[in-house]
Amino acid sequence: MRRVALVGALARFFFEALTAIPGITRAGRRVASRVLLQQVWFTALQAIVLVVLLAAILSFLVISQATRELGRLGASELIGRLMVVVIVRELGPLVTALAVAGRSGTAIAAELATNKVMGEVNALRAMGIDPVHYHVLPRLGAVMLSLFGLIILFDLVAIFAGLVAAGSAGMTSARYFEIVLASLTFRDVWITAVKGLVFGLIVGLLPCFHGLRIRGVSTEVPIASSQAAVGTIVTIFVCSGLFVVLLT
Amino acid sequence: MREPLLEFRDVVLPGRGTQVSLAVLPHRAVSIVGAEASGVDAMPDYALALRRPATGQVVVYGEDVGSLSPRAALAFRRRVGYLPAGDALLQNLSLRDNVALPLRYGSNMTDREIQGRLQVILALLRIADVADARPAEANEEQRRRTALCRALVFDPQLLILADPFDGLTTRAAAELYEIARGGETGEGARRTVFMTGQFVPERIEQRIEVRYRLAGGTLEQVH
Repeated sequence: MRRVALVGALARFFFEALTAIPGITRAGRRVASRVLLQQVWFTALQAIVLVVLLAAILSFLVISQATRELGRLGASELIGRLMVVVIVRELGPLVTALAVAGRSGTAIAAELATNKVMGEVNALRAMGIDPVHYHVLPRLGAVMLSLFGLIILFDLVAIFAGLVAAGSAGMTSARYFEIVLASLTFRDVWITAVKGLVFGLIVGLLPCFHGLRIRGVSTEVPIASSQAAVGTIVTIFVCSGLFVVLLT
Repeated sequence: MREPLLEFRDVVLPGRGTQVSLAVLPHRAVSIVGAEASGVDAMPDYALALRRPATGQVVVYGEDVGSLSPRAALAFRRRVGYLPAGDALLQNLSLRDNVALPLRYGSNMTDREIQGRLQVILALLRIADVADARPAEANEEQRRRTALCRALVFDPQLLILADPFDGLTTRAAAELYEIARGGETGEGARRTVFMTGQFVPERIEQRIEVRYRLAGGTLEQVH
């Protein structure tokens, strides 16, 4: 019953965020843009090294093993499909979303929960500033943009790391790009893009929700952070499963 | 007869359930002193429509603030200066940006105009030299000065102060109080001040036109 109430509260929070968008003034948009840029700096730019590292290692491990095993079976052209379906379409969005959830999602939840404890959220309301405009919408937008960009980066790095792995197993770069590009369809690209936006929404929304729903006691800050992390990870996996069921 | 700027009509406070009725006339400073359990802390929240009283009405600028829509309540609050208890400055912004925030969000001033306004008000509150520090790097008095700066940034007609003198020396408290009043006119203070808290220094008490004490479940006017 508590879970159902939680989902209901989350849906209401999302609806409130959506309905707050038209109410933001021109001056409010300028203020929100500043917060959005700061959040993009933290969520996207400062996470580039982590995402590059994850993409390179993951892709190198998968493709080097696959090249060897599939080569023995004489099916090395399947590396292209493996790269597109497993790395670009499935693991790219999933791993990037998990990395951003762990790195930025928990930070957003902890930051907003601390703001609530320190009376900053109430102070914003007292100044005539809607906390949804100042805290939620810029973070939501920034995380969606950042995650979308980071997924593209992940996929590009993964493809080039796959080239290194395939090259070390004796495959030429021309052959590698030929089979990878032949396997890549427009459908793979839009599924990846939609996943980027949906995962971005989840990673942006849930931490804001958990951070702002505490009642104002400092012991609730780590709880909010932990609930945000767990909730985000579970939701990302569930959505990832739904994408497979509905779109493939 | 002048209309009150702020009026509590049969408002029941949390805690001991004290029923409160009082009016704050323009150009007057009004203080209510009470213990934490008296429910005095809720009065600024009620006046700013941050919370609704269980019973009774709060009227500010002639309008029942409990009936305002959320959007109208936000616009209304920009017309009232508010110094919250414990400052409530945004920790990730410098003192200057804390003061600038309501101007950036709630006005159509250009950056140049905002910088001009900031220069004047930061100098008035004597925090221009520490304005680029974060709240955590400033001392309690500087933080309180910044919070008052933020409350005065729109030069409001009505100023609400919650626990304004907590942790300040009498000298600093007296200085901030005079700045809050905004000078004197023929009718009294230029700005109407409504303050609540657990104590008011004696030196400031003499400068407050109407004083109340909230104790034993009743509101008593002591001056």
